[in-house]
Amino acid sequence: MAIEHDVLGDLMRGSLDHCVKCTICETFCPVSNVTPLFPGPKYVGPQAERFRVPDETSPDASLDYCSGCGVCTQVCPQGVHIAEINTQARAKLRERTGFRFRDRLVARPDVLGRLATPVAPVANWTLRNRLLRLVGERLVGLDHRAALPAYPGRTFQRWARRHTSPPGVRRVAYFHGCGANWSEPRTGEMTVELLEHLGCQVDVPRGQACCGLPAQSNGMFKLARRYVRRMARRLAPSARAGVDIVGTSTSCTLMLKREAREILGLDDDADLRLVSDHVYDICEYLVMLLDRGELRTDFGPLPMTVTYHAPCQQQGHGIGKPALDLMALVPGLRVIENDATCCGVAGTYGLKHEKYEIARDVGARLFGQIADAKPDLAVCDSETCRWHIEAFTGARTVHPIEILHRAAGLS
Amino acid sequence: MSHHDAIVVGVGLAGLTAAARLAEGGARVLVLAKGVGATHLGPCTIDVIGYAPERVERPGEALAGLGDGHPYAAVGRDGVQAALDWFKGVMAPYPYVGGLEENLLLPTAVGALKPSAAVPGTMAAGDLREGGEVCVVGFRALKDFHATLLADNLARAGIPARAVELDLVPEGRADVNSLGFARAFDAPAFRSEVAAHLTARLGRDERLAFPAVLGIAGPTAAWSELRDRLARPVFEVPTLPPSVPGMRVFAILRERLRRAGARVILNAVVHDAERSGGRVTGVQARVGLRDVRHGADWVVLATGGFASGGLELDSRWRAREVALGLPVSGAPGPGEERFRAGYFDDHPMGRAGVRVGRDLRPEGLDNVLVAGATLAGAQPWREKSGDGISLSTGHRAAELILGQRAAAPPTEPAKAEA
Amino acid sequence: MATLETDVLVVGGGATGAGVAWDAALRGYDVVLADRADLAEGTSGRFHGLLHSGGRYVVKDPVAAEECVTENAVLRRIVPDCIEDTGGLFVTTPDDDPAYGDRFLEGCRATNLPGEEIDVAEALRMEPRLNPGIRRAFTVPDASIDAWKTVWALARGAASRGARILTHHKVVDLHVAGEAVTGARLRNELTGEELDVQAGFTLNASGAWAAQIVKMAGIGGVGVIPGKGIMIAMNHRLVNTVVNRCTMPADGDILVPIRTVSVIGTTDIRAADPDEIPVTQDEVDQMLDDGERLVPSFRDARALRVWAGVRPLFQDEKAGDGEAVDTRDVTRAHAVVDHVARDDIGRFLTMSGGKLTTLRLMAQDIVDAMCRQLGHDRPCTTATTPVPAGGDSHANGNGYYHLGSRLRRREATLQDEQLICECELIGRSRLEETMRRRGTTNLDDIRRSLRLGMGPCQGGFCIYRATGILHGVGRLDGDEASSSLRGFLQERWKGVWPILYGDQLRQARLDDWIFQGLLDVEHMP
Repeated sequence: MAIEHDVLGDLMRGSLDHCVKCTICETFCPVSNVTPLFPGPKYVGPQAERFRVPDETSPDASLDYCSGCGVCTQVCPQGVHIAEINTQARAKLRERTGFRFRDRLVARPDVLGRLATPVAPVANWTLRNRLLRLVGERLVGLDHRAALPAYPGRTFQRWARRHTSPPGVRRVAYFHGCGANWSEPRTGEMTVELLEHLGCQVDVPRGQACCGLPAQSNGMFKLARRYVRRMARRLAPSARAGVDIVGTSTSCTLMLKREAREILGLDDDADLRLVSDHVYDICEYLVMLLDRGELRTDFGPLPMTVTYHAPCQQQGHGIGKPALDLMALVPGLRVIENDATCCGVAGTYGLKHEKYEIARDVGARLFGQIADAKPDLAVCDSETCRWHIEAFTGARTVHPIEILHRAAGLS
Repeated sequence: MSHHDAIVVGVGLAGLTAAARLAEGGARVLVLAKGVGATHLGPCTIDVIGYAPERVERPGEALAGLGDGHPYAAVGRDGVQAALDWFKGVMAPYPYVGGLEENLLLPTAVGALKPSAAVPGTMAAGDLREGGEVCVVGFRALKDFHATLLADNLARAGIPARAVELDLVPEGRADVNSLGFARAFDAPAFRSEVAAHLTARLGRDERLAFPAVLGIAGPTAAWSELRDRLARPVFEVPTLPPSVPGMRVFAILRERLRRAGARVILNAVVHDAERSGGRVTGVQARVGLRDVRHGADWVVLATGGFASGGLELDSRWRAREVALGLPVSGAPGPGEERFRAGYFDDHPMGRAGVRVGRDLRPEGLDNVLVAGATLAGAQPWREKSGDGISLSTGHRAAELILGQRAAAPPTEPAKAEA
Repeated sequence: MATLETDVLVVGGGATGAGVAWDAALRGYDVVLADRADLAEGTSGRFHGLLHSGGRYVVKDPVAAEECVTENAVLRRIVPDCIEDTGGLFVTTPDDDPAYGDRFLEGCRATNLPGEEIDVAEALRMEPRLNPGIRRAFTVPDASIDAWKTVWALARGAASRGARILTHHKVVDLHVAGEAVTGARLRNELTGEELDVQAGFTLNASGAWAAQIVKMAGIGGVGVIPGKGIMIAMNHRLVNTVVNRCTMPADGDILVPIRTVSVIGTTDIRAADPDEIPVTQDEVDQMLDDGERLVPSFRDARALRVWAGVRPLFQDEKAGDGEAVDTRDVTRAHAVVDHVARDDIGRFLTMSGGKLTTLRLMAQDIVDAMCRQLGHDRPCTTATTPVPAGGDSHANGNGYYHLGSRLRRREATLQDEQLICECELIGRSRLEETMRRRGTTNLDDIRRSLRLGMGPCQGGFCIYRATGILHGVGRLDGDEASSSLRGFLQERWKGVWPILYGDQLRQARLDDWIFQGLLDVEHMP
């Protein structure tokens, strides 16, 4: 007798029992602290959930203002999976209200990259043309001010296919994500070069595409499931061979590690479980090596000042801030840690016209801190956050790996 | 896996204190916590001992009378004093007033006068031991503080008091919590508006009580400005959670920890300990869907009591300490009476917790120290000793570890005897 | 002493009494209803919330089952907004005899109950948390019904027809003149004032307390065995369909989703006094084990509150009921005790037995009997007259209550209003409006109207707010505010301490922190 029952998903929902109403999530929620349109994580999570009927759309449309940053779950001292409850309820809401063309668009970064790359100059011009962006805002609701990815016209995958990694003391597989592939190939290349410098032989599994996270955040669970299953299939051979998988897109690694299993109800997917057990955020992985005394630490001096913002999705890994430990290995580097919770963009949230200003207000604290610090570089683990931060502060914003790459004398 | 000099489990007042003190004392510290701790909820008045069982006027003197089973027995008056001194030093950006000599008597939001040993300077003018006229300022939009109730109850207790309610609505929100008001008070324009509404309405000798929402970015800016502009003592009264004073304290301790270089990992749920003989060599933490091991020479357990989930009672009435599996003492067994029928009765379950010796170590473990609400022997909220116990045991735990480290460099864990 | 005159005095403001008042008022009688406490504060407000399909009785008590079949359909028509159309399941757990299912189906056919067997897989699809080891499953038209809302609707309906509803009025004596009851002396329990009611007829609808009233008429030989049943409300809806064990009626055999919670019930233990029904540890343990049988990991879920109710199980020595050993064996059907035939006392009838599902039929039967005695020909119209819905109707499209209604309402006022009780989503204006409408300063009365403080935090956050608001709008002075706050804390404590484990213990300790560490309610003036 086959029973369709999502045990892990049920545990997420069941965690509402742990809520004691303490308000800690509310004090940290970046969104409800800047706008009354979002009634806050406690309200839309464990509170509203008691009033929701399975298979019915929740009547509280305000939960759509949740950015899905996940901070509520991180700070909850009682183990309520607030963000997960919200994401599931939001998806149900979106299923009823239907998916806007815009949301269908931003849910498919891979398709966008595939379309834009061959015509990169035109694509970039279009994406940065104020007039066309205003038209786009009118037509599809993509805010004309929002930072969109640029397309350099080359892909990381093409570079990787031509690149042969020399033998090392350990093997790792690199999960590059859409950002590195279509928009920041240099981040991907630096990652491979740095890992090799640190003694790793780097596999780049072929056929990597979107992990499904943007689709999940936009409530398109069916699409997200299809994407993440496909991604898991492509990465599973590495995991099966006992090779750890590292990623530079911290939200996408979190998707594979935990969210797809918890939120999308895919805990029965053997490939995904295997990949989930073997995937690491790159900084998490390097600090693990450091803690084991297996990391090469002979970084050269880098006399500069950087700010570091740990994005919310990185915090969702529950690994602290390993980038700080790594950057502490670089002589002469002055790191100013930002203590803001969120930059506001939360993946695709801040791109949307009706949410752009909320995202801007959420990020204000961070942007202020970066502006005050006048850093040589701003550092942040997540690509969408980097683009957003750059747009608001003008500070060039890089992945921590770029700092290490420089300190290792590789650039 | 990592290895640290000390792992502190928990980021409430006890955990933050222990971790900050350890880190600034030179230890490599890893802080593991399920989420943010209880500083965000409590008033952050350092209540050392308020009732024993009659109201305590001199907390320092009362400590000795609490008995051997009480957590303070492991700290002693000097230990509590040292912790308070340290805390007051750390809290320089948000100065505290008071000490062990005499309890202050501050009104709560229902107008009870609660004894506290040390309180934030922003609350200190609320000490009503000598009486005084009070005007309580409330905001209709703030549901977590009711000025008329407070004033009325003060008046019934013989303290001349009245309430003024303002209709100011920050951020245009109908439903705004203490934090929302605190953000509003960060803005000079809002402070001016509040002052303008009050100026003409105050009696000559009235001091002013506000809900504890006078700013969050600068912990004393709004308070001192109002005091100066209105030319009279101004004090804050804690509201229902979230606690703005608690958030101020959290921010300062967190920054202290950051500067001292401790690693902090939230969402790491410590659920087991790896033991070797009488030592814990590492802890197991569940992080998301994974289990991670962290090694350490010392472990400070500061996960809180039943309220925080550091202790649990299951539906078969078995109590357990959730992180390291330490025995819980004082918890009635299945079939025994745990609670009495009157809410304010003395409940048999009331003092359950982890019992420790004078060195804060549970029996049989050499390198684990327990701090805060996890400890057995106190009824923190009844006797008004919660933050006093958390602060002093957290501080004491760190001092004990630092003392041992100074006396003997850390050794490899002893092998279990066959 | 003030005096009231009326055609009919109804004693008891539970489901039966409110139903009787509504029925009599509809037939044109002038009615006074008196209850010693608030409406539905006795048995009606302390039940699990099941609107029986009749399935529970099809094998053991077909008469009761048939009544349920009919009345279930009637109540769905006349008080739809008090009912949630959850549907019901009877399931054969691994501990139950699968053969009972055949008798169950036979019973359904015999009583016209539309019960149907479905695949176990289908049942598990409907209710994924059900014990996967169940062996048979049957659907029935069970539903959940909000007793408070129903009783208030009936009382409001009666009042709209001129009835006077006297809550907190205890009957201290019946007037007996010659061979008839002519009214009663009432005492206002809040003020101590007494009131004399001259009534043409007195209807005793006081359920488990009926024998005490009968005794006031000088009548002996009537007893009520209070059958104690305990129930535990779980924090959220573990199931969304009523789930019954498919066995002979037994303890812990039903799980009812009602409003935001699910209620497991119940026991049936003979109690000595309907006002002394403490919950014991054994009973709690037994309920939790029974819950585990229906929903695995039930013990890990959060229990919110436990309470006990008393069934009015009637014993009439003259009718030869004798001493029943097991209260469950006493008939659950209701009967009108004719005190003329039995005791030569006229203008006085007592309702015996019964259950909330058949409240309308019970009212019809006793008012019919009264009409016969009075020689009036006034037919009953309650089966076809919808009870006016309250202004706060939560109905969805088909007229039934809908779980999401409060969330929808809150969403509409999100930007305009403070949320006072966060667990049960009660806004400030509703709180203030209810205080005015009910004219009460008692937080516990407001709780029953609004479910204030009945959610997970059990008042941890909202009691202080509600007290402050009541005081602020001048409905409570400082003294009353303090005693109301303390009283409510004690009332909440009563229902939580026996089930304090797991999450609810954490909550209780956080609440202690608020009330003792933060507010210091103990030393409040």
